[in-house]
Amino acid sequence: MHTEHTIETSAERQNRHKAMEAISVINALREDFKSPIHSMGYFYDLFEKVYCHHQPLHEGKAKIGTMCIQIPSEIIYALDGVPIRLCNGFYTDDEIGGDLLPQKSCPLVKATVGWFASDNFSDKPDITFSPTTCDQKTKAGAIIESFGHTVIDVGFPRTKESEESRHYWRESVKSFAVKLSKFQGKKLTRSNLESAIKKVGYAQSLYHKLTEFRKNKAVPILGVDMFLVTNAFFFDKIDEWISAVEKLVVELEQRASEGVNVAGKASPRIVYTGSPPIFPNYKIPLIIEQSDAIIVADETCSSNRMFNDMVAVDEWNLYDMIDSVSDKYLKACTCPIFTQNDDRIRRIIQLVRSYNGDGVIYQAFAGCQVYEMEQRSVLAAMEKEGIPILYIESDYSPSQHGQLTTRVEAFIESLKNRKRMKK
Amino acid sequence: MTKNKFSLRRAVNNMNLVRFRFWFQIVAFALVVYGGYIGLDLGDKLPTFACVFNGEGTGGKCYVGELQHDLKHPLEGFMGFAGYAFLISLGMFAVWFWALNKGWCGFVCPLGTMQDWLTMLREKTKIRYSEYSWANRGKIKSIKYILLILLLLLPVMIANSVFGLPKLPNGLSMPFCDICPGRMMIPAFTGHFNQFYIDFSSKTDLVMTTLGMIITGLFLVGSFIKKRFFCYFCPMAALQYVFSKPALLKLYKDGSKCTKCGDCYRACDMDILEIADDVTSKNLVTEDCTLCLKCVAACPEEGCLEANFMGATIFESTKEGFILRMAMDQNKENHAH
Ligand code: SF4
Ligand code: SF4
Ligand code: SF4
Ligand code: SF4
Ligand code: SF4
Repeated sequence: MHTEHTIETSAERQNRHKAMEAISVINALREDFKSPIHSMGYFYDLFEKVYCHHQPLHEGKAKIGTMCIQIPSEIIYALDGVPIRLCNGFYTDDEIGGDLLPQKSCPLVKATVGWFASDNFSDKPDITFSPTTCDQKTKAGAIIESFGHTVIDVGFPRTKESEESRHYWRESVKSFAVKLSKFQGKKLTRSNLESAIKKVGYAQSLYHKLTEFRKNKAVPILGVDMFLVTNAFFFDKIDEWISAVEKLVVELEQRASEGVNVAGKASPRIVYTGSPPIFPNYKIPLIIEQSDAIIVADETCSSNRMFNDMVAVDEWNLYDMIDSVSDKYLKACTCPIFTQNDDRIRRIIQLVRSYNGDGVIYQAFAGCQVYEMEQRSVLAAMEKEGIPILYIESDYSPSQHGQLTTRVEAFIESLKNRKRMKK
Repeated sequence: MTKNKFSLRRAVNNMNLVRFRFWFQIVAFALVVYGGYIGLDLGDKLPTFACVFNGEGTGGKCYVGELQHDLKHPLEGFMGFAGYAFLISLGMFAVWFWALNKGWCGFVCPLGTMQDWLTMLREKTKIRYSEYSWANRGKIKSIKYILLILLLLLPVMIANSVFGLPKLPNGLSMPFCDICPGRMMIPAFTGHFNQFYIDFSSKTDLVMTTLGMIITGLFLVGSFIKKRFFCYFCPMAALQYVFSKPALLKLYKDGSKCTKCGDCYRACDMDILEIADDVTSKNLVTEDCTLCLKCVAACPEEGCLEANFMGATIFESTKEGFILRMAMDQNKENHAH
C-alpha cells in the first residue's frame, strides 16, 4: 500500500488539536452520564461536524461575526445574514492568542484573537461587529482588525440606569443596522424585522420551555447538555436549531412524565454564574455534574442571559421595533461590565429560589477583571440570603483539573450535609 | 407549565389585553356618554370625565364639574350646609374611586378613550409617536397639580375675598370646565356641538372660551402624536392620586422577579420609568399611572407584575401570556402583511 506522507501544516495541527479537545467533551457528554437523551444526538453531531470535521454550515450566506450577546441577531436575520458569535472556548486557540496578548488576559478573548490570528475558520465571518463591552473585548476588536479583518465597533454604554445610556445605545443599534444594511445591500423593513423578532422570540420561548423542566424535582436534562444547546445557537442554522429543540422539548415532556432524573436523589442543585462556559471549555460544569450535583439554572452570557428576556414591541412599526430590540439588549442585560451589579445579584437569588437551588458556583476566568471584581459583593449578598456559594478561578488549560475537582467535590459534599441536616 | 392546562386563571393571564381593553373602553364609553337614553344615571361624582355639559343622554357626570360648583359659596355658607354637601360629594367620589382606583383612567374615562382612538389612528398611518423630553418631564408633572389648585381656588375666590384680594368675576365659576376639552368633545358624541363657541359677553368669558377652543385643538393634535397627551396635565388624575393609596384595585410588583428589562416601560403610554426601575416598592400605582395594565401584559417575568383587587390577583404577568401576546408562539416563515 502506498500512502503519501505530507508534513502537517500549522492550520492542520490546530484543527487536529481542536478536534481532540472537542471530541473529548462530546464523548464525555455522550457516555459519562446515565439516561442519555435521544434528541441530544443532533447537538453532539453538530459540534462534531463543525469542530472535528471542520465542516462549514453556511456556504453562500453572509456570515456576520459578533463578539458578544449585545449585537441584535434579530437585525442580522432580518437583513439575511447569519450571526456567528465568535466567543471561543478552545485551549488550542487560547495558546495561539497568548502570544499576541498579555499573559494575564482573559482566556476567552485570547482564544478569540488566536482564532482570527490563525485565520482558520469553517465558517469565516465576512464582517464582525464588536460591542465595546469589557476592556479586553474592546481592545481585541482593534487587534483583530490589524490582522486584516473588517471589524466595526458598536458603542456600548457602561451604565445602564440612565436615560442617556438608553438613547446612546439606541443610536448605536441604528447605526449598526445602517452599516449592516449597506454591507448586505438589503433594506431593513417592517416585515423582515417583524418576522426576525418573532422567529428569535420563538427560539427563546423554546429555551424557556426547556428551563421549565429543570424546576422539577427529578431533573430530566443535564446542565452541560443545556450549555451545549445554547452554545449551538452561536453558529447553527436557526431553523434547524429550532426543530432540534422542539424535538428535545417533546422528549423532555415524556421524560418528565416518567420521572426520569439525570441526577441522583440527593444531588445538590446548583445555580451557575460567572464567566461564560463556551464549548469545549466545559471544565467546571463537567466537574460539577460528574461530582453528583446538577446544574439547574445559570446566569451566564453564553446561556440563560442570552435567552432570558424577550423583545416586547408596542407598535409593530420599524422605528418602534428597533427601539424595542435595542432596549432589550441593554436594559435586561446583567453583564458585569456595568457600573452596578444589583441586577445580577437579584437575578442569581431569584434563580436559586425559583429553581430550588442548594448552592451557587461562581466561576471567573483568570484575567476577567469584571467578574473577579464582582465576586466579593455577590458572595456578601449570598451570605446575607443564606445561600452557600463557591468561588472558583479557572482558565482554559487542562492542568488544574485535580485541584478544581477537589474543591468542587468538597463544596458539593457540604451541600449534601446541609440537605441532610435540614431533613 | 403542564399543570392545570385549562384553568380560568391561565386563560385570563393569557388574554389579549389590547383587544379586551378596546372593547371594555367602548362599552364604558357608550354607557357614560349614551347611558342616559336607557335610563342609566350614575350621578355626577364619577372619577372620570363624563361631562355635565352633555344636555341629555349621559349615564353619569364627572366630579370635577360638580366640585367647582360646590366650592362657589361664601365662607359662612361653607361652614354650614354647603360644606356638608361638599363633603358628601367628595365622599361619593372617593367611594366610586376606591373600587377601581386609576382604572377609571385606563378603562372608563371618555377623554382617555378618545386619546387611545387617536393613537390607534396614528398607528394605522405609521406616523411615529413623540415623547416628552426628559428634561421637561418634571415640569409637566406639576402642571396638573397647579390646575387642580386653580380649579379649587378660583371658584372660592368668586364668593370670598381670599387674602384680602378682590373677588373674582362670575365668569370664572367653572374655570377648569371652560378649558376642559371634555366640554366640547363629549357632547359632540351625542350630536351636540353647541360647546364649540367663543363667548364675547365678558372679557373673562372671551379669554376662557378662547382658551378652551385652543386646548381642544391641542388635545386633538397632541394626542394624535403623543400617547395620552392630555393625561399628563389632567387635574382629575391629580385629584385621584390623592385618594389612590387606599383604593382597592392595585398594581403590584414583585421586585425580586424583575430583570429591569424595561419591557413594561416601553409599553407604558405614560412613560412611567418607575414601573421598570423600582424594585423595592410593592404598590406601583404612581401619580401618572392610568392602571391600563399594558405593563402587566408586556412583562415577560412570571408573576412579576399583577393587578390585584382586595388581595386577590386578577391578572398577572406570565411568560406564556407574553409569548402569546407578542405572537411569538408560532414559527411562521413569513409574517407578511
Ligand atoms: S469573560 Fe470577562 S474578560 Fe472575558 S470577555 Fe467576558 S467579560 Fe470580558
Ligand atoms: S367640562 Fe370637563 S371637567 Fe367640566 S364637567 Fe365637563 S368633562 Fe368634567
Ligand atoms: S388622566 Fe386621562 S384618563 Fe384619567 S381622568 Fe384624566 S383625561 Fe381621563
Ligand atoms: S417588564 Fe417585568 S421584568 Fe421587565 S422591567 Fe418591567 S417589571 Fe421588570
Ligand atoms: S404603569 Fe402600567 S398600568 Fe400604569 S400607565 Fe403605565 S402601563 Fe399603564
